[in-house]
Amino acid sequence: MAKGRNNSSWRNAGALALLCLFPMARAAEAPGEYDVKATYLLNFAKFVEWPANAFATADSPIAICILGKDPFGRAIDELVQGESANGRKLVVRRMPEFPSPQTCQIVFSEDGGAELARMGAAGRAILTVGEGAAFVRNGGMIGFVVENHRVRFDISQSAARAASLHLSSRLLAVAREVAR
Amino acid sequence: MPVNARIFRNKPIRRKLLIMIMIATASALALAGAGIVVFDSLLFRSYLRRDLTALARIIADNSTGALTFGDLKAATETLTTLRARPHVASACVFGKDGILFAHYSRHNATVCPAPGAGEDIRFTTSDVVVTQPILLSGGTVGTLVLVYDLDEIGERTQLFGGIVAAVLLASSLLALLLASKVRGVIEKPISTLVRAASSVSDTGDYSIRAQKISNDELGLLADRFNEMLAGIQSRDEDLKAERERFRFMAESMPQKIFTAKPDGTVDYFNRQWTDVIGSSFEESGGWSWTQFVHPDDVEETVRLWQHSVATGELLNLEHRFRRTDGKYRWHLTSAHSMHDLNGHITMWIGSNTDIHEQKEKEDALRRANEDLQQFAYSASHDLQEPIRNVAVYSEIVARHYGARLDDDGRQFLGFLHEGGRRLATLVDDLLAYTRAGAAEPTDSPVDSLEALRNSITSLSEAIRESGAEVTWDELPDVFIGTSHLQQVFQNLIGNALKYRHDKAPRIHIAAEPQGKFCRFSVQDNGIGIDPQYKEKIFGVFKRLHHDRTYGGTGIGLAICQRVVERYGGRIWVESQPGKGSTFYFTVPRRTGTGAGAPLGSAAG
Repeated sequence: MAKGRNNSSWRNAGALALLCLFPMARAAEAPGEYDVKATYLLNFAKFVEWPANAFATADSPIAICILGKDPFGRAIDELVQGESANGRKLVVRRMPEFPSPQTCQIVFSEDGGAELARMGAAGRAILTVGEGAAFVRNGGMIGFVVENHRVRFDISQSAARAASLHLSSRLLAVAREVAR
Repeated sequence: MPVNARIFRNKPIRRKLLIMIMIATASALALAGAGIVVFDSLLFRSYLRRDLTALARIIADNSTGALTFGDLKAATETLTTLRARPHVASACVFGKDGILFAHYSRHNATVCPAPGAGEDIRFTTSDVVVTQPILLSGGTVGTLVLVYDLDEIGERTQLFGGIVAAVLLASSLLALLLASKVRGVIEKPISTLVRAASSVSDTGDYSIRAQKISNDELGLLADRFNEMLAGIQSRDEDLKAERERFRFMAESMPQKIFTAKPDGTVDYFNRQWTDVIGSSFEESGGWSWTQFVHPDDVEETVRLWQHSVATGELLNLEHRFRRTDGKYRWHLTSAHSMHDLNGHITMWIGSNTDIHEQKEKEDALRRANEDLQQFAYSASHDLQEPIRNVAVYSEIVARHYGARLDDDGRQFLGFLHEGGRRLATLVDDLLAYTRAGAAEPTDSPVDSLEALRNSITSLSEAIRESGAEVTWDELPDVFIGTSHLQQVFQNLIGNALKYRHDKAPRIHIAAEPQGKFCRFSVQDNGIGIDPQYKEKIFGVFKRLHHDRTYGGTGIGLAICQRVVERYGGRIWVESQPGKGSTFYFTVPRRTGTGAGAPLGSAAG
């Protein structure tokens, strides 16, 4: 009994920590679902290795492209300020349609999941992030899943491998499900 | 410490060796043990430092994902892998802003300390705290804090302590074993030597020799000990032989011999003493011999003996010892002290010679001599009266009836008168001779020059007649009766005047100190004395010239000798016949008085 109580208290602490982890969560208001997802999106960049030909130049930034509808708003622009991964700056770009090669390294689409999933399968070195477990099943690489009020994600390692992307095992370790 | 040292000093060598071996072994082991433990703890710490840094880095690395994506479960799982390291007490993952995110602890109560900045490893007495930043893409996303307990060090120390204790135990046993071997090497020769020395000391048998066991210093010691024993043995034998020699000498002496300690207690009597002490030495040793001394002599004997013992002076006395038959016999006892190099008395050796017969004869002789002297004196004295009558009356006859006598009668009367006069002189000389043996007080000094002047005055007529010249040097004060000294001078000068050539006599008197005595000399240029008569002339009635050339009674020199010997001096003559004689005599002088240069003279 005591152990259970302790575990739950730690979970609360963990939740608190998580809360504090994100600058967005400042003030009393609880972080919204998309605030969390924006942060995750940024952090994915840090666990993924792109082949050199994914970039236009050696010092090209890692561009996070929001395809179609933008659910994040200005929050993601604030988050990305000053952030970098593997020596490359992070930038956020909003795209009405699918980008040309070397323009985007991460593409997120809230609604055009099926199309994005297919594009990922086309073998380009772009990390495709979508919504739901089905996104992964349909060929996407990372799909957000909300479980027990927490934002989690599924990963398709085979899709990433097909796009010559290398996902860190540390990322795989925290995924809800990993399709090999 | 001194007490401990004394206790240790009194232990047998075997125990000392054992203790020393044990101490050496134990201290070497303790040092080695301490060294190993210290070295190991240092080594272990540096190992731990590397190991824990690596471990923290791995865990931190593995926590990046979970921390980034807020996956508490994954983070906890990662931390829980530390269960494989039982000494990890707790591990915590803190967020970027220092808030605890995930936590693992071996015991629930353990709490991680708040993280510091940067990578850090800190040793406390009981644990190590490792702080490892969690890095992601060059940025810090959180901090891992690892608490590792140091029970291991204690365990290791315990382990090493156990090992050292076990080795100590084993080496102690080895040391014990070794000590018994060492005992054979060191203690056995020593105890052999000790046994030999003890038996020599107990039995006094110097023929015992120590057995040499080894060729080391102890062997050398045994050799030297044996050489020493041999030396002592030979000296002991010499001593025995010497003692035997002395005993044989002492026992075979006709005299009684004794030896005494420096304090005067007698420690040996020879066999000749048995006629006095009877049986055994025990009854008469020490001071108990005094019981055999005549009661009248005891006081003087003890006094003199004590004086000698105190001063070391020669003992010489005559006293009587009672023989076992109860009779007393006179003995001459003398004892000499023997001295060591420092002048201390080491022993006395003495003899007691039986002089009883000699003593009795001496007494008889002395009595006879005294009687004779008395007789001579009385006779001379009684003879004076009739002799004076002969002289007086022969002179009266010559004066009153000389004219009536014929020539023959006057000549015969002249013979009678001359004979009477000579008889009177003879009797006077005899009286003088007997008086020469009588004592005169001598406790005050006498001016010898005055005595000489008196003599010269008495002889002035003879000096004038012979035309003699008498001279003298400075003369000292002496201790002798005035009339005695005068008598000697008068006789010697008289002789010098009498026994002369035709030429005038020259007589010189001189004196010079000789120890306690003063030697006077009376030198003349007379007829001298044949050497064969040098002794004879001092006898009573000994005359060398019986003719009438030299008148005299033949008593003069006898008187001189009697006087001088009466005062412990002696008289003698040196002469060259025809050239003169020098008479010498010695008398006691006042010390410190020296004779000076020749001064006075008296010419006739």
